Amino acid sequence: MKVRTIALSTFGSFLRNKLIILFCSLFACLVLLMMTPLLAYKAMTTASNMQQMQGIVVNEVVTVMSLMSGFGSLLAAWAAADSVASEMKSGTILAVMARPLRRWQFLAGKYIGVLMLMAVYVVIMLGATLLLAWLGGQRFHASIWTLLVYPMVRYAIWAAIAMFLVTWLHPIFAMGLVVILASLVPFFASTFTKMPAWVRLPVHLFLPLTNVLSEQRFLTITKASLKPFPWVSHATVLAYGLDYALVWFLLAVFVFQYRSLSRD
Amino acid sequence: MAAPAIEFGDVIKVYQRRFKGTQVRALSSVSFEVAQGEVCAFLGPNGAGKTTSMSILMGFIYADQGRIRVLGHPPGDVRAKARIGFLPENFAFYRYLNAEKLLHFHLRLTGRQPATACTLIAGLLAKVQLDGYKGLKIGKYSRGMVQRLGIAQALLANPDLLVLDEPTSGLDPAGRKEVRDLILALKAEGKTIFLSSHILSEVEQICDRVIIIDRGRLVRAGALQPMLAEGNRVEIIVDQLSPELEESVKDRGASVQREPDRVRIAVDTVQKRALAEMLWAGGSDVISLMPVKSSLEEMFLKLVGGSGE
Repeated sequence: MKVRTIALSTFGSFLRNKLIILFCSLFACLVLLMMTPLLAYKAMTTASNMQQMQGIVVNEVVTVMSLMSGFGSLLAAWAAADSVASEMKSGTILAVMARPLRRWQFLAGKYIGVLMLMAVYVVIMLGATLLLAWLGGQRFHASIWTLLVYPMVRYAIWAAIAMFLVTWLHPIFAMGLVVILASLVPFFASTFTKMPAWVRLPVHLFLPLTNVLSEQRFLTITKASLKPFPWVSHATVLAYGLDYALVWFLLAVFVFQYRSLSRD
Repeated sequence: MAAPAIEFGDVIKVYQRRFKGTQVRALSSVSFEVAQGEVCAFLGPNGAGKTTSMSILMGFIYADQGRIRVLGHPPGDVRAKARIGFLPENFAFYRYLNAEKLLHFHLRLTGRQPATACTLIAGLLAKVQLDGYKGLKIGKYSRGMVQRLGIAQALLANPDLLVLDEPTSGLDPAGRKEVRDLILALKAEGKTIFLSSHILSEVEQICDRVIIIDRGRLVRAGALQPMLAEGNRVEIIVDQLSPELEESVKDRGASVQREPDRVRIAVDTVQKRALAEMLWAGGSDVISLMPVKSSLEEMFLKLVGGSGE
């Protein structure tokens, strides 16, 4: 009940957070702006240029999906860091922690609140993806669960890392570091196989391999259907992601247990 | 004898300044106890270590050394916190909630959601005179209203121990009187109250005991009234005093204050017997002989060297 109370309060505060509303609105405008060429391409498609137009449409869909996915990572990290940092900064944490509440319960409530926000984001992202595919003249022919579960696990990782950093470092440093990490990881992931072994090992150990958690691995955009992957593959990759998130969350709980709670 | 509500034994807290590599000793072997059912003031100039001590006993920060028990449990223990009402200094709330929703939120955090929750909350808001502002968001409250709401949330779970950091801060004189009356009513109910305040005249009116710290060290702890009566002067009131006798009295270092129907004479305690005998012999009728009480403020300034408050 206590964890649920904190989670619902955290989720409620996100929905009222002007900064989140502003960034989401700006991002929605950007996505809508990028969708308009799709309609134009669709209108211009004739029997002779169908193949070429199809390629343009697919590129457009992939770009918007990647943008939304990347923005989601930043949102998860920022929301997680802010959910704890804002309580410390304003001093509201003192009244809350004076209640018969354990520190892990507070952190778990915050984490679940962030995941609730990201669940809403993932559903919106899925809706946007389906809309894009429909605008591009495509249809999904298979189950869409990967488009829901994979991003959620990825965002759970970013939220856990951010939560760990904000319990350990000053909120400003933590948020800066997590944004840098969230931006660098896709770059590392794309060049992972080309790296020398001495770089690859620490990167492999400490940075999340979000490329394996990308739902786009299973998506054949041109046919807008899901690649048939064995369930063992899904289970292994998702277990990796959840394990990674859990480790960081438990580290966050450990550090938070010994942290001084005061107005920052 | 009941166990003390708060036990602080040889508590040491040192803050490390990471970048400067220096240490700040916030508390140096501070020891005190607060008995159950008493109203105890925790006094000290700014930076004396009051908030650090309160944070330690609430489990927000950890002491480096020392034995601390709150209601028989270690600080931060949920069993103790379930019986504590806490009002932090400069109380902060979720500004987007209204008073009713905030109290419901805090009530859920206590792990209880009684059927009478709405009645309980309405009663508390009436008690702190916020019942007319139930729907107003806290972000629009004045400083005094926020402080009243803080007191309401501290009382929410019917606590046995109230820890109040500057409870009358931000309140107008009428509001301060209401809080004082509320504290006295809670004392009558048998609650233990541990409060810090810079308004020493108020402390004098409501507290049984005082604990004074300065620069992280315990300066004084004890029952308030005997402490105030420890001055080394007495006041003798007589019905009349002849001018010749007044000269003799003044020769003994006494001060004389004439009133329409009596004369007040203040003198060092060591002189009281000789002076009283001299007055009787000189024809003055001694009406009373009382030790002179100093005010808490005078005593406080003497103890902390006028460094704060």
